[in-house]
Amino acid sequence: MELQERLNEVFCQVFDDEDIRIAPEMTADDVDGWDSLSHVNLIVAVESTFGIRFTHKEVLTFKNIGDLMNCIAAKVQ
Amino acid sequence: MNLIVNEQYNIGHICTRQQCDLGFGPKTALRWVSAHHEKTDYSFVELDRESNRFANVLQGLGFSTGDIFFTFLPKAPEQFFSFLGGLKLQVICGTLFSSFGEDAILDRLGDAGAKGIVTKKSLVKKILRVRDQLPKLQYIIVTDIEEHQSADILSFWQLMRDASTDFIAPLTSADTPSVLHYTSGSTGKPKGVLHVHGSVLHQSATAVQVLTLCDSDVYWCTADQGWVTGTSYGIIAPWTLGVTQLHYGGGYNAKTWFDLLEQESVTIWYSAPTALRMLLQEDDDVFSGCDLSQLRHIFSVGEPLNPEVIAWAERVLGHTVYDTWFQTETGGIMISNRPGVTVRPGSMGIPVAGVEAAIITDDGTVLGDGEQGNLCLKPGWPSMFVTYLNNTAVYGQKFRSGYYFTGDTALRDQDGYYWFKGRSDDVINTAGHLISPFEIESALLEIDEVAESGVIGAPDDLLYEKVVAFVCLHSRFEYSKQLELKIRLHVSNKASSIATPQEIIVVDSIPKNKSGKIMRRVLKALYLGEDAGDISTLET
Repeated sequence: MELQERLNEVFCQVFDDEDIRIAPEMTADDVDGWDSLSHVNLIVAVESTFGIRFTHKEVLTFKNIGDLMNCIAAKVQ
Repeated sequence: MNLIVNEQYNIGHICTRQQCDLGFGPKTALRWVSAHHEKTDYSFVELDRESNRFANVLQGLGFSTGDIFFTFLPKAPEQFFSFLGGLKLQVICGTLFSSFGEDAILDRLGDAGAKGIVTKKSLVKKILRVRDQLPKLQYIIVTDIEEHQSADILSFWQLMRDASTDFIAPLTSADTPSVLHYTSGSTGKPKGVLHVHGSVLHQSATAVQVLTLCDSDVYWCTADQGWVTGTSYGIIAPWTLGVTQLHYGGGYNAKTWFDLLEQESVTIWYSAPTALRMLLQEDDDVFSGCDLSQLRHIFSVGEPLNPEVIAWAERVLGHTVYDTWFQTETGGIMISNRPGVTVRPGSMGIPVAGVEAAIITDDGTVLGDGEQGNLCLKPGWPSMFVTYLNNTAVYGQKFRSGYYFTGDTALRDQDGYYWFKGRSDDVINTAGHLISPFEIESALLEIDEVAESGVIGAPDDLLYEKVVAFVCLHSRFEYSKQLELKIRLHVSNKASSIATPQEIIVVDSIPKNKSGKIMRRVLKALYLGEDAGDISTLET
């Protein structure tokens, strides 16, 4: 499964909405319920799904979903 | 200018039609800035017309005085049209945080017997999951679908297109029910705090006395409309004074917020300590180029405001921050620091006009200055709640010895300033939201792996308090990263993201007394490494 598809499933699970369709340019303002508290859930879910760990600095530098995808891709290589 | 004209207390009327009658019709009432920074201005005439349309929509659907409907929306113009339109029709308006999960929705809509709800497409599925347990819910009105989906899932804008812009609010007495907010206690389900149209008197008066609002202001209240601040001071009070309100649809972003303050020439800003503490963590560079010369005052509400935040704001922003205190039940500001009164950093301030506060023991003895006890208020201010819906017994318990017991503890110094000390119950205040440990414990017990749970609030530098969950697992399960995620998402999606535990601690058992009640103070002492005190009732 493509990384974006797997990540999409994580978003659907975390934000409890199976209709979410993520795209690299999307930000927290494009997903209902994506606030600072649910962001922690998202990071935990991504780490668990992809078997990776983010540093605190990495988490702070994600400006959009594309940044998140690039970081995941670099870690799972 | 009198706020109440010809005995008309209707909040929807006062915020719209009355402002037009006063000559503010063409003036911008709402400057809406979407998450993607598209701006739309609504004048008082347009606010009047759109809320009239919605009043007609509800009337056409069979709503009448005393019926209850909710909004379940992120910040959006439809929030304001619905709220004011419903009030015009004398329908009771409840507001829900869009972060609520299905259990939270069921508790509130079920208790209220809500007849309708206005929401977004992405949130409809949460309602549908509990729909069969809500027999009185007749209409789900959706703001972002073009056409009606069925006889009961209706398009907001299709309904609005067909509705007249003319509506005359019926003469509404001060004691007519108006706004409904649910608040959490340490036990049982959330309670519906019911207010009346007469609350507008205190809300409007404190907007002048404390917030110093006047009709030349541009005002920004960042509170969500699910919160009492978001309705009392994010809708009602400013519009009773012809004030232009800025509302922004995006989330927290320091640069965006300060761009908005500057570009929209905000003069009065009302926010929350958690937001201010987040700003404090930003580099000073974020603010250095920002021209805040239009800004007169900054106010804060929700949790105690640390003196460090006030010092930071004075140093970096060139403004002090005035902390204000009130709660869902009080409907409006009761105690505050404010312009013209010397600020004592870290204090709640002094009572506002018409409010008599006192520090009282559990048995009703009024304490002197410097002594800590229950923070109480003499009943009678106009925005006081009139009941807990379907729970008059608990309402009655709040009033003892001639005072309303707020549930907060405090002391008063010799100069009359009040100092918050904590809660007299187990309710958790996280980022200004009161969270019931009982609700989270109940959600945790729905998880197969969890045998017992106990939840406390623990001090947190950013949130004031964070949710800490103690869980005892069934013996056949082991804790793992996957289980942590499962717990987080379950609480978030069933209760709300605000209720999600920030820490999960696995223990062998949860301390209970001999009646089986969770001894949260023992858990808290354990967490903080303190002496648990009297544990004679602990079941062993």
